[in-house]
Amino acid sequence: WRRRGAMGAGVSSFFFGAAAEAAPGAAGLGDLPELCAAQVLLRLDAPEICRLARLNHAFRGAAGADFVWEAKLPENYRHLIGYVEGGGEEGRRRRRRAGTKEIYARLSRPVSFDDGTKEFWLEKSKGRVCMALSSKALVITGIDDRRYWTHMPTTESRFQSVAYLQQIWWFEVVGELDFCFPVGTYSLYFRVHLGKFSKRFGRRVCSTEHVHGWNKKPVRFQLSTSDGQNALSQCYLDEPGSWVLYHAGDFVSTNPRQALKLKFSMAQIDCTHTKGGLCVDSVLVYPKGFQQEKVVTGAK
Amino acid sequence: MAATPADASSSSSEAVVGGEKSNKMITLISSDGESFEATEEAAKMSVTIKHMIEDGCADDGIPLPNVPAKILSMVIEYCNKHAADADDTNKHVADPADADEDDDNNNNNASAGEKEDLKSFDASLVAVDQATLFDIILAANFLSIKGLLDLACQKVADDIKDKSVEEVREIFKIENDFTKEEEEAVRKENAWAFNE
Repeated sequence: WRRRGAMGAGVSSFFFGAAAEAAPGAAGLGDLPELCAAQVLLRLDAPEICRLARLNHAFRGAAGADFVWEAKLPENYRHLIGYVEGGGEEGRRRRRRAGTKEIYARLSRPVSFDDGTKEFWLEKSKGRVCMALSSKALVITGIDDRRYWTHMPTTESRFQSVAYLQQIWWFEVVGELDFCFPVGTYSLYFRVHLGKFSKRFGRRVCSTEHVHGWNKKPVRFQLSTSDGQNALSQCYLDEPGSWVLYHAGDFVSTNPRQALKLKFSMAQIDCTHTKGGLCVDSVLVYPKGFQQEKVVTGAK
Repeated sequence: MAATPADASSSSSEAVVGGEKSNKMITLISSDGESFEATEEAAKMSVTIKHMIEDGCADDGIPLPNVPAKILSMVIEYCNKHAADADDTNKHVADPADADEDDDNNNNNASAGEKEDLKSFDASLVAVDQATLFDIILAANFLSIKGLLDLACQKVADDIKDKSVEEVREIFKIENDFTKEEEEAVRKENAWAFNE
């Protein structure tokens, strides 16, 4: 729009049309030309923009403006949209031609990668990246031994399956992630649940009879990045019967064009006691401050 | 209402990054024929006017057929205030060699105070009735004054942010120019933003 403004008075009547004929002071929100409406929408969140598209034609047009959505997308959105598959060659071509609003809409739905064991999405209001890694993406000591671990299908996991620990001495869950995060600070969590749950007659039933050993020694959480960031903490697992996000630490991304390699773990390997009755759902990465479930942060 | 530079010492001979500043006055003419004077520096906050000056079209005054006097005087007030601010910032960094620590702190305090000043000036400039606010947006857009457009649009955004579509229509008197089918289509194409 700056280019047009600079063309001077000749452009003004094209721009303002009816509004130019209106008596001074008679302009209202409904008379704002589309580009001005877009300037207002630029300063609102995605859900707000989509809501106000219903106001009138000018706002509907403004709500579709490329520059509005370009400002909302993470700086490396072209790289992120590359993770989206499907549709074959036709799909690829469509994605290359897609406007920024369409891209924002697609990226705000989960995009899965690494064989469906991981997925990321943009949280709708500010377009920041969130990520989830399923238990199948994690390296769990003893996972193949049915005396210790089993996979439990459940709708309480976005991956439809959690790893359930019956009992073990050496409890260790390790994960790795290689990703280009948009600039910002993120928090990494382990989503776990003390107790086994199921549905009986449509109601959720939780059994904690096999929960044991977690009050003997704390669990250690570790997070490190390829550019030297480190976090270490520990805490006792508690709150049986509900999902808890245990905060392993924070990391900062300063370069969206460079993949950050993360290594993280949750462990309790004191072999003098067994522990068990735990569901491990996933590892979550959220923009710092954006948390949705119960969060527990350990002490250093 | 003539707009004049607030600070006479801006014409002193300090070395300022960016070359010489002229104190030439530019005449701006509102849609209803009123003439306003502004320094070239303030006037150039409008990219539109800046280009006209550089193209040599400004000598007999610049007519602005879409900007009524009431709005033009507010725009010039904004430009004066913000041009003076940019000027002061330049002055503070003009002689880093001379500044000792005390000086630096004083300068920082002065800028902090000025920034507060500017913020409250900006806030009161847009604390106006809707019609005026929209006229400011139209003018800032036409004149390409980014800071003023930002300010006014942010105010409108803040005002409509938490209101329902019906409320916004009612308060701002927006006519629903959609047919039933069109409105349904808009709802559908934007539903993705509200799921989950």
